[in-house]
Amino acid sequence: MRRGRAATALCAALLLASAALAAPFEDPVRDARVTHLDNGLTVLTLEDHGTPVVSFQIWVRVGSGDEARWSGLAHLFEHMMFRGSKHLGKEEHSRLIEERGGQINAYTTRDQTVYFTNITPEHLPLVVALEAERLANLDVSEESLADERQVVIEERRFRTENDPQGRLFEALMATTFQAHPYRVPTIGWMSDLEKVGVAECREFFDEYYAANNLVVSVAGDFDTEELLGLLHRHLGGLRRAEHIERNPTEEPPQRGERRATVRHDVVGPIVAMAWHAPPTGHADAEALDVASEILSSGRTSRLYRALVYDEPIALGAAGGYWELARAGLFFTWAQVRPDASAVTAEARLVREIERLRSEPPSEAELAKAKRALEVGLIAGQGSSHALASRIAQDWISFGRIRPLDERLAAIRAVDAEDVQRVAGTWLVPTGRTVVQLLPPEPGMEPAPGSGGPPP
Amino acid sequence: MRPVRPAARLAAAALALVCAGCGLFAKPAWERPPPPPRATDVVPEERLHREELANGVRVLVLEDPRLPAFALGVVTRRGAGIESPAEAGVASFTAELMERGAGERSALELAGIVDALGASLEVGSDWDAMSARVSGLSEDGDALFDVLADVVLRPRFDADEAEKVRSEHIAALRQAADDPATLLGWHFAKTLYAGHRYGVPEAGTPETLARLDGAAARAFHRRVFTPAASIVYASGDFEPEALLERIRTTYGAWQGPPPPELGPPPPVPAARRIVIVDRPDLGQAQVALGHEGIARTDPRRLEAQLLNTALGGGGFSSRLMGRIRADEGLTYGIYSQFVQRHRPGPFVVSTFTRVPKVGELLGGVLEELERVQAEPPSEAELARVQSQRSGQFALALETSREVAGALVELDIYGLPPDSLDTYRHRVWAVTPEQTAAVARELIDPARCSIVVVGPAEALRPQLEPFGPVEVVEP
Repeated sequence: MRRGRAATALCAALLLASAALAAPFEDPVRDARVTHLDNGLTVLTLEDHGTPVVSFQIWVRVGSGDEARWSGLAHLFEHMMFRGSKHLGKEEHSRLIEERGGQINAYTTRDQTVYFTNITPEHLPLVVALEAERLANLDVSEESLADERQVVIEERRFRTENDPQGRLFEALMATTFQAHPYRVPTIGWMSDLEKVGVAECREFFDEYYAANNLVVSVAGDFDTEELLGLLHRHLGGLRRAEHIERNPTEEPPQRGERRATVRHDVVGPIVAMAWHAPPTGHADAEALDVASEILSSGRTSRLYRALVYDEPIALGAAGGYWELARAGLFFTWAQVRPDASAVTAEARLVREIERLRSEPPSEAELAKAKRALEVGLIAGQGSSHALASRIAQDWISFGRIRPLDERLAAIRAVDAEDVQRVAGTWLVPTGRTVVQLLPPEPGMEPAPGSGGPPP
Repeated sequence: MRPVRPAARLAAAALALVCAGCGLFAKPAWERPPPPPRATDVVPEERLHREELANGVRVLVLEDPRLPAFALGVVTRRGAGIESPAEAGVASFTAELMERGAGERSALELAGIVDALGASLEVGSDWDAMSARVSGLSEDGDALFDVLADVVLRPRFDADEAEKVRSEHIAALRQAADDPATLLGWHFAKTLYAGHRYGVPEAGTPETLARLDGAAARAFHRRVFTPAASIVYASGDFEPEALLERIRTTYGAWQGPPPPELGPPPPVPAARRIVIVDRPDLGQAQVALGHEGIARTDPRRLEAQLLNTALGGGGFSSRLMGRIRADEGLTYGIYSQFVQRHRPGPFVVSTFTRVPKVGELLGGVLEELERVQAEPPSEAELARVQSQRSGQFALALETSREVAGALVELDIYGLPPDSLDTYRHRVWAVTPEQTAAVARELIDPARCSIVVVGPAEALRPQLEPFGPVEVVEP
């Protein structure tokens, strides 16, 4: 359905706006290869000898959105993957990579967990051997969990309790989603981090870290046949899971505006809003991306003009479409000036969203937004890390690697009516969630257990 | 396994290859010595062009046709560091105003051109330099070249835009204090550098910003954006000869005063101060400790960098990360740094932990600073950080934009232009005696000032064992 609509619109757009299109160039991922090992492990390879660097990534199809009982387990487990294995002590994996000049780290999202090593290519055999060691022989002990639990609790305090934006974002997700597991913060709720045990970590590993739930993605300066040989030898024996449990809960339709307030010791309030939007791969995705750019891209964008430049309401304001595997969000936010009001900021954000719904953008605005998306796509292909990430994300989301031309064509196919139509479909007032982060008012008592003394 | 020097490493690697050829891996990869690094050119000389124009403008152009995009910029060798404390913030004020109207175009007209091309225009400043840069698709190169020339050579500094920017910067400063880490940085600088420009936030204060207007920005622009202090650089996909010709024509006729003098060197703090910035609402305290450090051009900078990599600048494998994060679970991150500017910046260790653990954490950090002197990196530990730095170096120069950026950075400080080519050799030439010497010369735990952002009531008893405590308002 999506391709059909895009193709028709593409013809129209080519007639209207061909002068504004970027000249074609060769997609750096055109020669990417997909290999499946017998145990179900998928390997994506993109050989490019341009610079002597290689990015080796393992994408695990598990994120906080899969958690059913213990929030934060996917992320806490990501930390445990660095705490040692049968043959290696804690953090020794990182040390071995770093002392060869490599960068090693990992991150967890609502949909996946990603481990990456960027390094000069002569060390690739070591990288593969180390990944195989921790996947086969990870050691999750009471002692290592006790230390790492504290590290993650400090990370949570740093990113959420102490950070106004972190606080706001947590409240926004928890209010926008009431049933869907995306409501839960990826870092986890504090009480779960304090209590989750070794048995749960081991179960989690057994459930999700199976060969057929992993995608290995490698881009940069290496020899594909050599690498595949290494992967066969080291990861070919990894077990396959017969069944992988997913959290099945979906979000019921929202039936009216939701609001929340967070009090935090700030001088500058923050206002954020979210609407439910389609998951990744939906036919409306590109039009929603264009709407994001119209709102947010550059000093001529609507939100910068309305909230920062024309009237002194906010220090920054933007919006965007956030596509996740199972549900999407469209959001806007404003960092309100200490000398302005959150109420005014909210009214301006609503006004700009309503404007998207009530009239199509001008041709100039549309062309500008599409151009910004195109340039971003083309210029974002520079590093092997970016390329390995791109092919892995595509594979996980779509089961294939989308050619750059296809993505560019889909962007170019968006017309002004598309933008108005998707805004009309998704950005409805009764589906809106508004969260304001405000300073405490004089004399206000903090809620029991909320930490701080009265302001 | 113990990393070894390159010569020994080569022989060991050859041996490992023989074993690999037998098809039998007696040992796992992490117990075998690392293979020798590949010999690669750091700077692709055939794609690099440098020259100096008659008026002193230096030009650096690095061609890379792999993506149809490019970046073009002008960087000056002076920044906020030349401001007096009373005019703090004029560099960032000037930078923002340069984006708000140039040549024939108003702020919105200028933004309109850039946004219509999906391009970007960024003017910024830091302590040591100012920078104006355009980037976008190569086919828009001519239009973006003209935008940059207007912004650098013909900024308008309209009075109404100056009013807007001043108001925005004052509001932004007030709001920035909502972030405990930002607050920590300001108070740490103030504690170390009272009375010096480095003791005032780079973006200024509400008081210094209140005095700024379009005329102040115009005057500062004229001082700093001057040919003898400027570097014009480009990287990406373009026709190098045509671009160079346009640069010569446009920037060759530029006239201006000689580069401004550097600001005075900062004073050396006499003794430890302990400051609590009282934020009763915080459950996690932000912590910084340190003292004076070295300038970017200090002859000991490489030894200092290697020592710091071992101590706390080396990702997950540094001494501080190993102890404070991995062993003790006290923090999510801890880093040490010699902040290097035209003038000596601080040596600083920064981290955060839950409020009841601040005293314990500080004790651990100070012990590690003492230990780095009593037990400086051994030959093996030094070899690990040498290997780490030389490998990271290759990674940091993956794209042409990164290579051009590194070359421009050297030029800002007048460091030798071949520094990138010689870097790995110089790293491997450092001896354990040299890093031990800089540990003694450049680190002094007893003189480290300590600044903590958090609830004073709970922090005071934990900090008093380290010396007299001052409590200040945020």
